[in-house]
Amino acid sequence: MIQELKLGMAKAGRGLHSLIWSRRAQKAKLMVIGRNVSDGLIAKLVIYFLLTVVAYLYLQPILYMISTMLKPLADMYDPTVRWIPRQATFENIAKAFEGLQYPKALLVTSAIAVSCSIMQVAVCSMTGYALARLAVPLRAVFIALIILTFVIPPQVIIIPLYVIFSKLGLLNTIFVFLVPATLGQGVKSALFILIFMQFFRSQPPSLEEAAKLDGASTFRLFAGIMLPLARSACLVVFLFSFIWYWNLYYEPSMFLTKGFTPLSIRLDMLEEILNPTLLGNTRTIVNPITEGTKMAAAFMIILPPILIFMVLQKWFVSGIERTGIVE
Amino acid sequence: MDAKQKKRAELRYHGSRYGTGLLFMLPWLIGFCSFVLVPVGWSLFMSFNKVQVSVGGFKYDYIGLENFRDAFLKDNEFPVQLITYFQQMLLMVPIIVLFALFISLMLNQRFPGRFLYRALFFLPVIFATGQVLSELFTQEVGEIPFIDQYNLEPLVAEYVGQQFAEPVMSVLGNAVLILWYSGVQILIFVAGFQTISPTIYEAVRIDGATPWDSFWKITLPATVPFISLNILYTIIDLFTFPLNPVIAHIRENMFKVDTGYGYASALAWIYFAFIFVLIAIVLGLFGRNMKKRRARS
Repeated sequence: MIQELKLGMAKAGRGLHSLIWSRRAQKAKLMVIGRNVSDGLIAKLVIYFLLTVVAYLYLQPILYMISTMLKPLADMYDPTVRWIPRQATFENIAKAFEGLQYPKALLVTSAIAVSCSIMQVAVCSMTGYALARLAVPLRAVFIALIILTFVIPPQVIIIPLYVIFSKLGLLNTIFVFLVPATLGQGVKSALFILIFMQFFRSQPPSLEEAAKLDGASTFRLFAGIMLPLARSACLVVFLFSFIWYWNLYYEPSMFLTKGFTPLSIRLDMLEEILNPTLLGNTRTIVNPITEGTKMAAAFMIILPPILIFMVLQKWFVSGIERTGIVE
Repeated sequence: MDAKQKKRAELRYHGSRYGTGLLFMLPWLIGFCSFVLVPVGWSLFMSFNKVQVSVGGFKYDYIGLENFRDAFLKDNEFPVQLITYFQQMLLMVPIIVLFALFISLMLNQRFPGRFLYRALFFLPVIFATGQVLSELFTQEVGEIPFIDQYNLEPLVAEYVGQQFAEPVMSVLGNAVLILWYSGVQILIFVAGFQTISPTIYEAVRIDGATPWDSFWKITLPATVPFISLNILYTIIDLFTFPLNPVIAHIRENMFKVDTGYGYASALAWIYFAFIFVLIAIVLGLFGRNMKKRRARS
């Protein structure tokens, strides 16, 4: 009995099998399922669906930010208004513009981000090149030290740095960031050095040999040939460095608290400016009166880097793949 | 040429060769000494002292390990915060890395419009740091909608225990913002997949492997180094995470009169030791794993 059943099932299975594998069916199957996972129609639809859902969840806070920014106060208290305000208002943006001292703070932030990023590209590429191609004693030790600088939490060295900067009279000036960046100790410099090292290692050495035979000095060789070759790596490093300096909060909150304040610090002060009576612990309070303004401020802070990224997006993503950061 | 002269010539040769290399390294070397070595040494020194700010500068009183002992015995906040942070990290690191792996696997497929999606998933890198993020954290907009809908809180408490429930809920409550920390990781994974040669996939397909097989047998093993890289990067990236309670505590103690810089340094060093052990464990796990594979092949 069981034997028979098994036999029958096997027969049916074979029938089904041949049906599926008949040529026409195969073609249809190829179209729907595809040869690779990604080729078929079903797979593509699934991917689109999943990516869109995740992307929506992912960007929801930004949408919330924009919607809150445009809401007038009445809509903030109204629970029926969720995403689209009854009447868009630009009052919050104007308030945030004033509270942030936007033009000045923007200037400060961009000055820090641009100058430090340029220095980081220059210095990290030099260091990376030396480690990749030049004769350096104790190379392995240096590389280990570079990785170590990446692993040390900023909390460990922030106190001595504060004292050093205050002794040098650099607090509340641009130099608290520019000097370390010039000396290869900026934000995530270690990562950038490793990126450049990896990139220069992957270049064929014949180019340098030819230039050397023609009598180029090492520095000329570096500045004239190797650096232009590393254009994509330079762009990637510059943009990452720019973004990370732009968003830097922990260090500026220690070093730049008076006068020369970037946007991120001004955002921190915004609550007190908007609401002078509320002293002390303002952090944990969600205050509907100031929420719209704060969201407007946050949006104004992230707007410039987003615009830059939109313009440079194509070069950026392909540059990352081309530099072989990860190998 | 006698031996001495030869040696000198050799030295000179090496000197000039090393000279250019060191010249290129010079900025970094100066920076390393002044902004890493000195601060690290100084902060280590401070952690063994009671530091008082007086008119002429600092006054150091050597007290040995007392700062470290106090951190665990006298301070009732610090050990708790450290444990909380550890629990959060234990949750966040796998979430971030798995999410990045999942998304990058999909972004790696060929379909029209994938550049748009890649840009979209990279977007949080631009603003997912610093003050903007902590502003969003206080608004608690990063919640995944279904947590409230299905009232997950008692469920979580039941399954993982009261003690774990709090960090679990705080992570779940800000899940979206935590996932924002996966931008760079997605990039690393996508670039990592490019290193796998497409001919391998073709070969196994001819041998009759299903896509499912080829994911487990080829893609995943080749991705192991990138997974470990991403775990390390995530741990490091979370140093200055806005929800990190340890940062706030260290800063508070810095400006307190009765604790001061010495105690704050000790706290920072305990934190560092803790992170270092974590990194060493990750490296050890993945390092051994990779060695085994290399030996086998």
